[in-house]
Parts: sequence; C-alpha cells; structure tokens
Amino acid sequence: MHGVRRTKPSPEAVQAARRAKEASKIAEYRALEGEVLERKKRADYTPESLSLTTQLLWLNPEYYSIWNYRRLILQLGIFPSLPSPEHQQPLLLEDLQLTIAALKAHPKVYWIWNHRKWTLETLAGTFGVGKEDGRRWEWGKEIRIVEGLLEKDSRNFHAWNYRRYLLSSLSSPSPNPPPFPLALTPAQLSAERAYTTCKIESSFSNFSAWHQRTKVLEREWARLGAEQRRAERDEEFEFVKQALYTDPSDQSGWLYHRWLVSLPDFGDRESLLRRELLVIAELAELEPDSKWPLDSLATYKHLLLSLLPPSSPERTQLLQECKEHLEKLAEIDPDRRGRYRELAGRLG
Amino acid sequence: MTIASSSTPTTAPAHLLMDLHTQYIVSLDQQESSLAYHLTEHLRLNGVYWGLVALCIMGNKDALDKEAMVDYVVRCWDKETGGFGSHPGHDAHLLSTLSAVQILAIHSSLDRLPRARIIAYILGLRPKGKGYFTGDAWGEVDTRFTYCAVSALSLLGALGELDKVEEVEGDEGEAVTVREKVVRWYEACRNFDGGFGSQEGAESHAGQVFASVAALAILDRLDIVDADQLGWWLSERQLKNGGLNGRPEKLEDVCYSWWVLSAISILKKLHWINAEKLIGFILSAQDPDAGGIADRPGDVADVFHTLFGIAALSLLGYENLRPVDPVYCMPAEVIEGLGLKKDCQTLTRKVDGDGKGQAEQ
Repeated sequence: MHGVRRTKPSPEAVQAARRAKEASKIAEYRALEGEVLERKKRADYTPESLSLTTQLLWLNPEYYSIWNYRRLILQLGIFPSLPSPEHQQPLLLEDLQLTIAALKAHPKVYWIWNHRKWTLETLAGTFGVGKEDGRRWEWGKEIRIVEGLLEKDSRNFHAWNYRRYLLSSLSSPSPNPPPFPLALTPAQLSAERAYTTCKIESSFSNFSAWHQRTKVLEREWARLGAEQRRAERDEEFEFVKQALYTDPSDQSGWLYHRWLVSLPDFGDRESLLRRELLVIAELAELEPDSKWPLDSLATYKHLLLSLLPPSSPERTQLLQECKEHLEKLAEIDPDRRGRYRELAGRLG
Repeated sequence: MTIASSSTPTTAPAHLLMDLHTQYIVSLDQQESSLAYHLTEHLRLNGVYWGLVALCIMGNKDALDKEAMVDYVVRCWDKETGGFGSHPGHDAHLLSTLSAVQILAIHSSLDRLPRARIIAYILGLRPKGKGYFTGDAWGEVDTRFTYCAVSALSLLGALGELDKVEEVEGDEGEAVTVREKVVRWYEACRNFDGGFGSQEGAESHAGQVFASVAALAILDRLDIVDADQLGWWLSERQLKNGGLNGRPEKLEDVCYSWWVLSAISILKKLHWINAEKLIGFILSAQDPDAGGIADRPGDVADVFHTLFGIAALSLLGYENLRPVDPVYCMPAEVIEGLGLKKDCQTLTRKVDGDGKGQAEQ
C-alpha cells in the first residue's frame, strides 16, 4: 500500500462496530468470489458468469485471475455464438466503459490497463474491410481519453505507455506493433513533438514529457541530412535553455541538456561544448549555489579536455577548474560527495 | 526512547525494532478479519516471499513454519501450466512463479515439484524470436518479467537454456542465442538517461532499472550499462530527507531504498549516496506501535515495504542483520550456496557502537 496515513486507534465501541461491518463485507465478498470461482473451474462461459465477474471486479479490480476468466467468457463462450464479428462490438464497448470507470478510480493498476488493451485490440479485429474509419474513430477516442488521464497526472507511466501503444498501432492494429516510435509517420512524429512541447511548457519538470521528446526527436533526426539535424539540435538547445533558466534546480532540463551534448557528432563538437559552457557559466554566476550548472561545467570541461591535443595550453587551466567545480559540489551537495570525489580522483 | 500515550504520536524510532517486525510478519497470516487481507490474494505468494526474506535477514527464519509454507507454495502450483498462481486456484503468472521458486530455494525444497515443468512454463512465455518474456499467457510485456524469468531459471539451475541458438526464419538475420536476444532487448529498452523503462520507449523508473540491471548481472552482460551515467541518475534519487524516489520529481518511498540501492550496489556506486541519511529515513518509516515499515514516515506499514526497508538496511551495513544478495533480493548465503553470487558492492556491517560503514568490493 502506498500513501495511507496511520490514524490513532478509536474507542472500543467504534472498533467493534467497524469489525462487524467488515465481517459482513468479507462474507459478501467471499460468497460472490466462491460462486465465480466455481463457475470458472467448470469452464462456465455464459452471460450470467460475465455479469458476476463484473460485480467481483468492481469490488476488487486487482484480481487478475478474474480478468483472465472474463476474457475467456467472451472469447470462448459468448463470441462464438454471435452471427458476425461486428456483433461483438456492443459487448466490447461495455468493457471499455468498465475499464475506464475502473481506471478513473485506480489509474495505476496494471491488470485494468491490460484488459483495456485486449478489449481495444479485439474491437479492432471486428472492423472488417472498408470499415477502417470506424477503427480509426475508436483509436482517436482512446487517444483523447488517455490525454484526459495525463491531464490529471502527467507522470502516470501507464498512461504514457498506453499512448505510445495507441500511436504505434494507429496505422496497423496488430497486438504487437513495432516499438515506439518506429511505426509513426512523419506527420505523427511532428504532432507528438508538439504535444511534448505543450506538456513541457506547462511544466518544465515533466520528465515523462522530456523523455518522450527524446524518442520522437531521435527518430525524426535519423531521417534528416547533417545540416538540418544540426539546426534542429541547436533549436533544442534554445528550448531547454528556457527550462534551465526558469528553474535551475530542476533536473529534467539538465538531463536533457546532457543528452543533447552527447549526441553523435552533428558537426564540431569542440565549438558546441565551448558554446554551451558559456551559457552554463552565465547561469552558474547567477546561481552560485545551484549544483546542476556546476555539475555540467565539470562534466563538459572534462569532455572538452578529452578533445584537446596533449600540448594544448588550456589543459592545465581546464583541469584546475574541473577540480574546483567538483570540490564546490562536494560542499554544496554533500550527500553525493562520494561521486564528486571519485570523479576528481580520476582527473589525476 | 519514551513510550508515548495513545493520544500522542510516538516519536520516530532510532533503531530497527526487529522483534516487533518479526511479530508483525508472523501475525500477517492471522488477518482473516480484515477485508484488505482478502482483497490481496492476488499478491499472497509474493507476500509470503517478502515476509520470509525479511525474517531471514533479521535472523528469524524459523518464526514461520517451514513445512506449512512449502505446502502452501505447492498448493499454488498449477499442474496444467506448470507455473504458480498467487494463491491456490489463481492463474499462473511469472511474478508468483518467481516468488515460489525463491521460497523453495530458501527452504532447500526446489525438488518438491517437477523442475522440468516449471522450467518449461517459464521458457514458454518467451514469444518465438523475441528477447523478452511475457508475464503470462495473456502477453503483457515488461522488463520486470524478463528479470523474473532469468532469475527463476538461474535459481532452478536452467540458465543454460538461454544459451541455445534459436532457429532463424527467412530474412530475420543471424542466428544468435536467446541470451544475446535478451541482452539486445534490454539495450532497446535503455533510455537517454542510462536507465530502463518497462518496455521499449518507456520512461526510466527505478523498479525497472533494478530489474534490468539485475537481469544483466545474472547474464554477465553489464557491459551494456553505462555505470557512470546510470549511477549518477540513481544517486540523484536521494532527496534532502535522505529517502530515495523512483524517478525525477517524485516522492521518496522506502521501496525505492531497495530498487535504487540494489542497482547501485550492482554497479558499485554505493558511496555515491548518503548511507547514514538513508538509514535514518528507513528507520523513521517504522510503525513503532504495530510493527512493520511503511512507504514513508507516518503511513500504514505493509510487508512489501517492511522487506525492502530491512533489505536496504542490510546492504547499508546496518548492525545485526544478515547479508542480502542485491541481484536476487534473497539471503546471501542461499545465493552463495547455489553458486550464483555476483561481484557486487555492500557496505561493511557495523558492529554495535561502531563508526560509519566503509564501501567494500
């Protein structure tokens, strides 16, 4: 269990009443469960069994074996008796309703997400040739629903995973679309980039959105020529700079910046490092007690050192600065001084 | 430490209340009057494993009856599929199968059931040609499940099954071993921050980082992990209050003390966090009245957080605790006995009244 506060124990009478109420709830639950399990055991895949599983899953949406049973009831019991795949649709739409209601109350339960995914995939299979519009409409609805869930909790990774699955399977509804974002069209990639921009602009500390952005950009950039890639990457540096200046203590932007710097060469790495070092040095001056600018200065100067010839006059100075930055870091971020000391030790 | 009256909150404990936690774990079996107990049968076998390992680390393995426990595990076995469900009558799943194998290994009872059938169940959960294992026949993909499979296979002495070369169809490319496929899949799940998510494209999360790093450790393929970069990401999980979170900008939680710490221990960067502060945080999350450890101070305890708090304390060298293996989250002596120990880092165990723990290889 997460996040349930301890409370003081209440008077005996209150406790006794609570226990009695709980005992009757337990009896009710066990009776229903007993009935369902008995039917499951004898492979009873009738509509009555289906509605009993609905009741049980309302009481306990984490009961994965019952979700499994429900799918068997539909697949092996009810669907085979229907005249056409299209006749499955009303039942599947009911399961979409069931799962969205359950997800609103329990947005992080894996089993509910799994069942919803199964329902959607099965639904996709019921749209015959010429009915692609119907399928795309359902997918569009799903994307809007997941966006609603991400409005409520922009870090819910289940919702992000589901979103990636929806976008990947939009063009081809196989149960296992290629991993995100390989199946996305250029237009989809561009739209998804805009979505991450929107999410990031409304909260610079939305690491989930930054993460999504790295996946989209990697894919988009793979298709561009060297010069265009460089130009776009520089736009990203401008974009992340806003985040770094708005809140230098937020790690998301810094991790993203580190990724941008480490990308395989889109050109002159040395001038890139020098340019970014200037940007960060400015910020470090404005925020002398912020560890992230300092950590980046130490890291990027170390990188720069590795690019310079052994005879370069800058080496001594850079080395000295790295050591100073790491010493200061050990002071202002003492919890992690083990790391700073190790890095300083490697400088020799 | 003063004992407060029932109307005021008890002050945060400064020591690990081992006897109280032992009682707490033993009493979990007697919760029939609690609705929550009934509603968590989908986790029961996992719960038994969490409780057992916590007891082992505290040196109180015998507080729960071995025969009764092994019998319970056997009753969770589904002879149709060869796997284990979370409770008798529940469907087989990799999560409960790993817990079952772990419990049987600790109780030296791996041969109570036909090993070959359990191994076949696990191997059957890898779709042909793929580098991952699904949670069950319904096909959910998650890095956790691949870890469960790799860990369980190694405990069953069947890791060699992954060294078979898979037949290639058509233009699929070169024939490689299953082990190589699994490693490549983990590579595909690796993110810009050096961490791992639940599947390809998913955000890094400490739980998945543990599962991925530990699986790669078992497969002797930590070469695909950038230890400096991931060690950095992991060290940044420590917050000002000493607790660890699971990803950037999230709350601290005792269970991340384990997921982050075990990964950091495998990567040999334990000295990159403040051990004393983390110990303090874990101790403050204890329930000094009812026993057990919660996700954070003041919350209701549960056996999941109790195990991970105690296991983390063991890795941090806390006194009077037995060593725990960071790759398997099982008593170190059991893993050593099976010849499965990997080269990880733990902090020197403090003796009562000793100074700070030093990192050791």
